[in-house]
Amino acid sequence: MDSEDDMHDANDLESLDDDFYSGETGMGSDDGDGDYEFGNNASDDSDDGNLNRQQENYTVLSEDDIRQRQEEDITRISTVLSIERDHACILLRHYKWDVDKVHEAWFANEESVRQTVGLYENPVARTFSRELLCGICFERHPCDRMCAASCGHFFCYSCWRGYVSTSINDGPGCLMLRCPDPPCGAIIGQNMINLLASNEDKEKYSRYILRSYIEDNITSKWCPAPGCEYAVDFVMGSVNFDVSCNCSHNFCWNCTEEAHRPVDCTMVAKWILKNSAESENMNWILANSKPCPKCKRPIEKNQGCMHITCTPPCKFEFCWLCLGAWTDHGERTGGFYACNRYETAKQEGEYDEAERRREMAKNSLERYTHYYERWATNQSSRQKALQDLQNMQNVQLDKLSDTQSQPESQMKFITEAWLQIVECRRVLKWTYAYGYYLPENEHGKRQFFEYLQGEAESGLERLHQCAEKELQTFIDSSGPSKDFNDFRTKLAGLTSVTRNYFENLVRALETGLNDVGESGNQPTCSRSSSIKSGKGKNGKTRTIGGTTSRSLDDGNHSHWSCESCTFANTKSSMVCQVCHRRR
Amino acid sequence: MTSSSSPSRKTLSKIATNRLQKELMEWQLDPPCGFTHRVSDNLYRWIIDVIGAPSTLYAGETYQLQVDFSDHYPMDAPQVIFLHPAPLHPHIYSNGHICLDILYDSWSPAMTVGSVCISILSMLSSSTAKQRPADNDRYVKNCRNGRSPKETRWWFHDDKV
Repeated sequence: MDSEDDMHDANDLESLDDDFYSGETGMGSDDGDGDYEFGNNASDDSDDGNLNRQQENYTVLSEDDIRQRQEEDITRISTVLSIERDHACILLRHYKWDVDKVHEAWFANEESVRQTVGLYENPVARTFSRELLCGICFERHPCDRMCAASCGHFFCYSCWRGYVSTSINDGPGCLMLRCPDPPCGAIIGQNMINLLASNEDKEKYSRYILRSYIEDNITSKWCPAPGCEYAVDFVMGSVNFDVSCNCSHNFCWNCTEEAHRPVDCTMVAKWILKNSAESENMNWILANSKPCPKCKRPIEKNQGCMHITCTPPCKFEFCWLCLGAWTDHGERTGGFYACNRYETAKQEGEYDEAERRREMAKNSLERYTHYYERWATNQSSRQKALQDLQNMQNVQLDKLSDTQSQPESQMKFITEAWLQIVECRRVLKWTYAYGYYLPENEHGKRQFFEYLQGEAESGLERLHQCAEKELQTFIDSSGPSKDFNDFRTKLAGLTSVTRNYFENLVRALETGLNDVGESGNQPTCSRSSSIKSGKGKNGKTRTIGGTTSRSLDDGNHSHWSCESCTFANTKSSMVCQVCHRRR
Repeated sequence: MTSSSSPSRKTLSKIATNRLQKELMEWQLDPPCGFTHRVSDNLYRWIIDVIGAPSTLYAGETYQLQVDFSDHYPMDAPQVIFLHPAPLHPHIYSNGHICLDILYDSWSPAMTVGSVCISILSMLSSSTAKQRPADNDRYVKNCRNGRSPKETRWWFHDDKV
């Protein structure tokens, strides 16, 4: 038993005798809630650093925060560039709210920025007459009843109003509204909108600007939970994508699906697609649409040439056949109506392969159903556990602290246990997606994976049992029980041990169990094994990864690998240390 | 023609009528070269004869454009289609629908029927092959119930032809 375990007083859990459970909470778990007070064991290495890093790699923003940040950015640009706030806002929108980029571009070549963005310094059209012809209604108007953007193309107020309101009601594309004069690119900013639009439209417009600050900015996204109005600003380059919104929704910042460690985003996307692929809708979308290569919105092409332009604000131009940028097309690719990249690829069988995969989407249904059912069961177990947790916090803890005459602050370990159960259900759920995609032919990995998953499940059952059934006896008892402190020790120990197990499991799966079945003799320096061995506690480096890397093909035969669980046992032991199977 | 009830629509309708009258007057004084407007008393639907420009694939051929204006004209683009038979062109469908950005996303109220006509003629003139768009059959099938090209989401514009 490693010394860390002793700290949890978990010695009464003889059944958990393998070192697998002794794993350190190396990287913080993805469930931020209260993981840390309990994790005393996290004090002996770099975990404090991880803790800080995790807390700092994202910020949850309320609408007020967003407005404030937006105002600050606009003020910065407006001060540094000495331009109007309205113009600063236009520039920021054009450069996706990246202040540095605006600075960079502006100071590199102000004139060219002005041209591209449409912020003209000197009107291209100038006139001094008192009456002008409006280019939209073709009526003559006195100059004071007309206005123009920075370009100086005058139109009458009523035509401007129609123009602006039509555009705002067409959607967020109105943020890029330009002067109505066809070849003119002068941009229409918010000042002009405020001058011309109805109150309702002004409100819409300012919401679009707010949305643009989150949606166009590559470092921020809206929380995907229904009805949630928070956004999350993420520190780019962080390893851990899991974020927890103030609305208590945990999601992956990268793919905005719910938090899904240990599986990666690609697998989650595949799995979710797979789940809905059974519905007619998805089948139709698969067969008839492709996602825009840039903004990923599905596009149905029901007519027209292969040159696709996505709707504003994306406006990405691409080739329907090869999904490459349209700028790469032309004479070289066989003219504008053919795409020989596609033709070549098709001849090479690349696209046939993709097409065939679509066809086979419905095959192996049985295998899929097996994993799906278990995935869904854990999902609903998790929902149930969440409800139980709430019930526990709202009703039961009160009662318990009454019967046991202990302050509620002493009952925190129970909440901890339930939070851990919720988290474990989430991990367990995703291991089923993981299992579904684990190649059938990698027998070693599969076996090991299924063993780990089985252990995880029974470990969690133990915890769940303890937190549910055993706790109930204390809630129901008539007076303080002397066993309660023992119970506290047991449940806290189980919580900690289960957490460690699951964290190790997550890490091992994240590294793709890649130590299993590798031919090299040396332990690979996977994340899990290196974290472990870095600790150097009495030389034991048995984590999921570290252990098994030695189990197979170990040249010097100092270990033997268990046939059942693949654990690498020392040569001297005749019984597997993990599953007690005989050699 | 200005029968709609909401005041904003009424003003727009008045704008549309005024503007169309002016455009028509302008057209009669100085029609764009190669186009003839067929006289009719319907201000909101113009039928225009197009004559293919000399020394192009469509030289000497005559086609008919039908231009329909909504109450929101010129804020909304007019609906422009070729009447049967539509010219063979990689951007023109056999049902007369035209794939041209200024008729949809890139429309600006400062454009006119005249400028649209000239764009269409230029599109015809620069064609190098008399052929239908690749997906003509499928598109036309989709439009069977008299769907307007303006209800289509056009994702594609190509200024080369």
